[in-house]
Amino acid sequence: MARLESEVTREIEWIRSVQKGEGEAFGPLVERYQARIFSIVFHVVRRRDEVEDLAQEIFFKAFRAIRSYNFQSSFATWLSRIAVNHCYDYLRKVRASRLSYYSEMTEDGARELERKAESPQSRGLDHGEKVALRDFVGRLLERAPEDDRIILTLKELQDFSVEEIAELLKLKPSTVKVRLHRARKRMLGDLERWRQEGK
Amino acid sequence: MDCKEVRDLVTELWGGELSAETRDHVSKCAGCERFLRDAHLAQAGFRALAEEAVPEASLGFASRLIRRLQEWEEKGARSEFFETVGRRFVYATLALTLALLLSLVLPTSGPVRGVAGADFLGLQSNNQSAQPDVIGGDLGDSHDLIPGRLPD
Repeated sequence: MARLESEVTREIEWIRSVQKGEGEAFGPLVERYQARIFSIVFHVVRRRDEVEDLAQEIFFKAFRAIRSYNFQSSFATWLSRIAVNHCYDYLRKVRASRLSYYSEMTEDGARELERKAESPQSRGLDHGEKVALRDFVGRLLERAPEDDRIILTLKELQDFSVEEIAELLKLKPSTVKVRLHRARKRMLGDLERWRQEGK
Repeated sequence: MDCKEVRDLVTELWGGELSAETRDHVSKCAGCERFLRDAHLAQAGFRALAEEAVPEASLGFASRLIRRLQEWEEKGARSEFFETVGRRFVYATLALTLALLLSLVLPTSGPVRGVAGADFLGLQSNNQSAQPDVIGGDLGDSHDLIPGRLPD
């Protein structure tokens, strides 16, 4: 507990130093949050080769805006918000083309995958099947509108709570719930259309 | 229970336990059964995606970033300096040009210079010559213009 408090105090000191113009104090902040930012960028954008460049741009933005940080939300939330917004802009710029994937899967393979997916925690999936599932949902996400993609990623991949997402996106928790619900429904509806197109 | 209600529940509970009534509907409705299977597939896919190893920052990422930020700051400060100096130079030039233009325009207009101008053109009458010229006239002829002095 005391360790956590001292870490928070140290973080506040670093932030205040950067705000005063001591750029070197930004280094420990980058080191502390780089894994978090890499994770958000990777899960939202899903382009391994772009993650580091995007993360760098996000830290750049944060550095330039740090004087506006007023300690009302945690630094992690503030920084994650910048990351999410940056990813959102990126996705809008490189809008993924509509892909067809379901037709690539054999009917037997798909049925087997579905059977295993129904079991709790999808037990019994081998490496190849997991790769297929990743590819499948990754492509579904690529087809989704940017707003849906971001909210689904934060909930399903970053494992943020509804409250955390609400704070990050500056929305009410009830709005987050509704948007999540709609995003899932749209995604499954899209999958249904996709399958029909593939037939 | 209709299909819309069932699908709403499936996306709302998202992996949670469905009621007996919902399960009953799903067992009789091929469309909703397909929908539920897709939901399971998506959930499993998300779990698989979440397990995927996130790329790590390359060695020295933070220090490289800080160096770049410092370079950017120095460059920014330098360009700000030149921008400020340049802006001041432009303003000074504009002010000088304006002053020059005014100095060329002003002598031909205004009440003070009016008399001198008329004088120059030879249009001044005798009566007018009695009036003082603040700039070139003799103040001794016009006591009332000397502040604080009563007329004789």
